Amino acid sequence: MNPIFEEAADHVDNQVIREWKAQGKKVIGHTCSHVPEEIISAAGMMPYRLRGIESESTSIGDTYFGPFICSCPKAILQKAGEGAFNFLDGAVMVQSCDSMRRLDECWRAANDDYPGILPGFWHYLGVPHKAVDYSLKWFSEEIEMFKKHIEEHFNVTITEENLRKSITLYNETRDLLKELDEVRGMENTPVSGQEAMNIILAGTAMPKEVYNPLLREALDELKARPAHHGGKKRILLGGSVVDDQSLISVIEAEGAVVVADTVCFGSRSFEGMVPEDSPTMLTIAGRYLHHQFCPRMFGHYKDRMALIKQKMELAKVDGVILQNIRFCDLHGSENGLFEAELESMGVPAIRLEREYGAMADEGRLRMRIGAFLESIPERRTEKPAA
Amino acid sequence: MITAGCDVGSLTSKAVIIRDGRIIGSAIIRSSSRPEISAQKVMDEALEKAKISQSGVEYCVGTGYGRDNIPFVDQARSEIACHARGAVWLAPATKTIIDIGGQDCKAIRLDKNGRVEKFLTNDKCAAGTGRFLEVMAKLLGVSVDDLGKMSKKSREPVTLASTCTVWAQADVIQYINSGIPVEDVGAGVNNAMAGRVATLANAVHAQREVAMTGGVAKNAGVVRSLEKLIGHKVTIIRKADPQLAGAIGAAVLASDVKEGRA
Repeated sequence: MNPIFEEAADHVDNQVIREWKAQGKKVIGHTCSHVPEEIISAAGMMPYRLRGIESESTSIGDTYFGPFICSCPKAILQKAGEGAFNFLDGAVMVQSCDSMRRLDECWRAANDDYPGILPGFWHYLGVPHKAVDYSLKWFSEEIEMFKKHIEEHFNVTITEENLRKSITLYNETRDLLKELDEVRGMENTPVSGQEAMNIILAGTAMPKEVYNPLLREALDELKARPAHHGGKKRILLGGSVVDDQSLISVIEAEGAVVVADTVCFGSRSFEGMVPEDSPTMLTIAGRYLHHQFCPRMFGHYKDRMALIKQKMELAKVDGVILQNIRFCDLHGSENGLFEAELESMGVPAIRLEREYGAMADEGRLRMRIGAFLESIPERRTEKPAA
Repeated sequence: MITAGCDVGSLTSKAVIIRDGRIIGSAIIRSSSRPEISAQKVMDEALEKAKISQSGVEYCVGTGYGRDNIPFVDQARSEIACHARGAVWLAPATKTIIDIGGQDCKAIRLDKNGRVEKFLTNDKCAAGTGRFLEVMAKLLGVSVDDLGKMSKKSREPVTLASTCTVWAQADVIQYINSGIPVEDVGAGVNNAMAGRVATLANAVHAQREVAMTGGVAKNAGVVRSLEKLIGHKVTIIRKADPQLAGAIGAAVLASDVKEGRA
C-alpha cells in the first residue's frame, strides 16, 4: 500500500500538501462535511478538512473553550495555536454543532494571544439544520456568498466549466470510496478497518486530482490481495467524528475487524452525488443539505438508522460499536436510540463515550471493547436484519 | 482436575484454586504497583493454602486490569466474562450481576444460557466504587466494615448532593462539622453509593435473580439501599467471599476450557 495514505492520515501536514504549496497553490481548511468542497476546488485551491490530530494537550484549547465541551474543536484550536495550520490560506467555519461553531470565535480570540494563527481568508458558512424548500434556498445563497467571497478575496473567477469539472472529480471520488466500502464488506475482507480508514482520511488532506488516481491504484491492489481477515468478529463503527486510526486500532487489537462505519470523516461522508448537468448553487446546496447522516440535521433519525442497517447488511456485521466524544449531545442521545433499536433486532451493540484524540483513555476503552467482543456469540445465527 | 483464576484488580489481587468444582485455596492481597508481582504473590498464597504447587495447576485464567501482565496464565479474559461466570457458579439462578470493585462498578445482564447479554461500567471516575467508600470511611474515622453497619443504626440518613468523591467529601465534612450523627452521614454515603450503582443496574434492565459481587457486596447498608432502588432482592453470595467472584469465575472458565465447554 502506498505509504502516502498513512502519512496523510497520521499527520496534519503531508508530502502532497508541501508539493502543492511549493507550486504556489492555495489550501483552504474547513471543519464540516457540509462544506461544498467543489467550490474551493473549482477555484483551483485545495480543500483541507481540519483535524486536531497529533495534539498532546489541550492547554490552548481549554483556555478559550469552556470545560463542558467536545474536545475535538479544542484539539483543532490547540494545533492552530501551535502554528500547525499556518500553511492554510483560508479557513471556513461552520455551525456543524454548538461546539464546532464556537471554534469560529475561539480561534479569532486566540489570534490576539498567538498572532498570525488566523488565515488571511476567513469565512463563516451558515448551514441550516433542516432540509426544507426555504432552507435550501437560504443555503444556496450562503454558497453563492461563499463563492463570491473566494472570488473577491483571491481575485479569481470560478467559471461554470471549472465548477462542472470539479463536481465530476468529486463524484468520481465518491464512486471510488463506495467501491472501497464494498471491498471492506467482503467476506474474509482483504483490508483492515485501520487501513481503510487511512485511505479514507488521506482523501481529506490532499487535492482530489491527486487522490483519485492513488485511490484507484489502492483499490486494484486490495482486490488482488488474498483474503486475510477471516474468522474475526465483524464490527460496524458508528457515531461521531473518527479522524485517526487509534480507536479502530484498539478494536482490531482485541481481535475484531471494522468492516463498515457510519462515522464522520468515514463512510457516511461520501453518500450522495451532486448532479453533474448544468450545476447551480441550488443543485450543490441540494446534495449537501440532503446529506442527513449527521444528527445535526433535524428529523432524520430514521434515515440514519436505515444507513446503519444498509451498511450492516452489505458488510454482514456481527456487532455495532457506537461511540461519541464526551459532551456530544447530538451523537450521545442518538446512539442511545440506535442501541435500543439494534438490540431489539438482536444485534449486539455497545455505546462508548470517549475523549477526542489518540486514545486519551485507551485502558478504559480497551477493557469495554474487549468485554463487548467477548460477549458477541461466536457465530451469530441471526442474520443482520433488513 | 485443578484449575486456577487470578484477578489482578486496581486495589486488590485475588487468586482462587478449584479442584473438581470445589474451592481448595484462595487469597486476597493489596495490589502493588507491579501487576506481575501482585499476581505471583497472591497465587503463591492461594497455592500454599491449597497445599499444591504451581505445576499442579492444569489451566489458569487471568483477569482484571493487570491481566495482560500475568506471566503464568494460559488465557486472559475480561472482568465482565469472569464476574458473570463466577456469579452463575456461586448462585446458578443469577440473571443480573452487580459488581462493585475498587475503581469500577459494573452491571451485567445474562441471557437464558448464562451468557453476557448486556453490560455497563462506570465512566473513569471514582463515583460508585469501592474507593469512594474507602475515602468516606476514612473521613468518618471508621473501618469500611463498620461503615456498612451504619445504615441500620441511622434514623435520618443525610443526602449527598454529589457522588463525585471529591465533592462528596466536602459534603461529608460539612455534615460532621454541623454535628449530624456519624451514623446518619455514613448511611448517606451508603445510599449515595447505591444510587450511583442503581442507575447502571436499571440501565441494563436488571432482572431477577440479582446477585452482587465484588468487595462492596459485604456492605449491608449499600445492599439494602440498592434493593429499594432497583425493586429486586439482591442475592448475597454466601458460598464464598463475594470479593473473590472474578477470580472464581476465572478458575471456573479455566475448567470450562479444560472440559471443552468453552
